[in-house]
Amino acid sequence: MSNGLDFEFLIDTFFVALTGVPVAILITVVSLAIALPLGFILALTRINKMLVLNQFSRVYVSFVRGTPVIVQIFIIYNSVPLLLASIFEKYNIQMDVYDVNPIWYALIVFSLNTTATLIEVFRSAINTVSKGQLEAAHSVGLTTVQAFRRIIVPQTLVVALPNICNATVNLIKATSLGYAMSLPEITLKAQVAANASYNYIEAYLDIFIIYLIICSLVEYLFKRLEKRLRKYQIAPTA
Amino acid sequence: MLEIKNIHKSFGDNIVLNGIDLKIEKGDVVVVLGPSGSGKTTLLRCINFLEKADQGQAIFGDTQVDLKKASKKQIYSIRKRTAFVFQNYNLFNNKTALENVTEGLIIGRKMTKEEANKIGKDALDKVGLFEKYDAYPGELSGGQQQRVGIARAVSLNPDIILFDEPTSALDPELVGEVLEVMKTIAKEGTTMLVVTHEMSFAKDVANRVIFMDGGVIVEEGPPNEFFQHPKEERTQRFLKRVLPEDYIYNI
Ligand SMILES: Nc1ncnc2c1ncn2[C@@H]1O[C@H](COP(=O)(O)OP(=O)(O)OP(=O)(O)O)[C@@H](O)[C@H]1O
Ligand SMILES: [Mg+2]
Repeated sequence: MSNGLDFEFLIDTFFVALTGVPVAILITVVSLAIALPLGFILALTRINKMLVLNQFSRVYVSFVRGTPVIVQIFIIYNSVPLLLASIFEKYNIQMDVYDVNPIWYALIVFSLNTTATLIEVFRSAINTVSKGQLEAAHSVGLTTVQAFRRIIVPQTLVVALPNICNATVNLIKATSLGYAMSLPEITLKAQVAANASYNYIEAYLDIFIIYLIICSLVEYLFKRLEKRLRKYQIAPTA
Repeated sequence: MLEIKNIHKSFGDNIVLNGIDLKIEKGDVVVVLGPSGSGKTTLLRCINFLEKADQGQAIFGDTQVDLKKASKKQIYSIRKRTAFVFQNYNLFNNKTALENVTEGLIIGRKMTKEEANKIGKDALDKVGLFEKYDAYPGELSGGQQQRVGIARAVSLNPDIILFDEPTSALDPELVGEVLEVMKTIAKEGTTMLVVTHEMSFAKDVANRVIFMDGGVIVEEGPPNEFFQHPKEERTQRFLKRVLPEDYIYNI
């Protein structure tokens, strides 16, 4: 071990760590699938200053952004089982709360977290699409829903895409914190492999490379998507 | 053909429209003048339900609508009979010039794409943009964008087109092309209600001029009379300010 890197271990562990990729991706995809529409809708409540919901979104965003993800994980991971246990007891459900797959906790934490980020992303993006276009759509006979679907949302998405990309990359990286709740993702798998032989450097190098590859790939895909969607230039608003 | 009765509108304590009556016949070109903040934009917006009036009636031919209590259905039916040309064009930035024109026809009016494209191209030809069907707003000059805005309004074949200062966001050298297009469609008999600061348009094209101030119509009349023999003192003061050169001769 003191003779430099153990290449065999490096390569073996690379493949072990790779088996954690599906979990990381599953969590990323599901969290985004929840956070994208939810974030958009809550952004609208903020822009239209809808009573209660607007306040709720504001407080929610400041809570989530004002605390480290790892702390959120600890809180959810430790408090939800207690909550569940008391519910199970009350309704006489025969199930051990500690059998719950940590993926569920991860999904809760990361969906909540990404939603908060995307509320702010969409809020600023929607504001760049002028209210005048909504009025123009109304004036030519579109309903509000049609106007949003055909005019506002497509433009909002293009404007928001770079920030959605950032949020996605941050989310992928944040899934590595899942090891704190025994989530069998990339970091945990590699670490477990290293625990036996103390080849931590090799294991961390593997993790490093895997995240780098995934995140670069995601950024590349977003760039492609942005090019496809942005057929038009943003007109200077008069 | 279009009659507006007793529109009132306030924003908080600010009374912006204080009982406006207006009657427009088919083929009329009515120009609305007035100092900034006198409620011209608000008047047009209330007619098209972009703003909800506090009180008032609109009578379109044989249909009468309460501007405050109109149902969604009534609002859509009025919007079908009116079109709006905005100061800032408000084109759909993610749509080409042609799509900007056809959007309302296909989605709002449920036309087929072929029908809509034909009408859309005719409208763009009329405003001199036959080479720009596929250009996005970001690729057009302000004057061209506003001409697309006019084509979008014309293509809907409305009973009346409402213009809110269509040239005031334009560079001076682009104002002419837009006024020219407006003149053309006016000559074709389009009914128009135009808020503008372009006195030449009011003099040459309008058949009626209305002067608004303080939320009411202060004076109205045919352009000759209005510009040469304004009766009200407020009108005289306004004209003196906007037309200093002309006004001196007329006194
Ligand atoms: N959405 C709004 N909320 C609050 N006040 C408004 C709103 N829209 C207009 N106002 C106020 O109503 C008054 C009339 O505005 P309006 O835009 O109708 O005037 P205007 O005659 O079109 O002026 P301009 O020549 O500057 O365009 C102004 O005092 C304006 O501040
Ligand atoms: Mg105005």
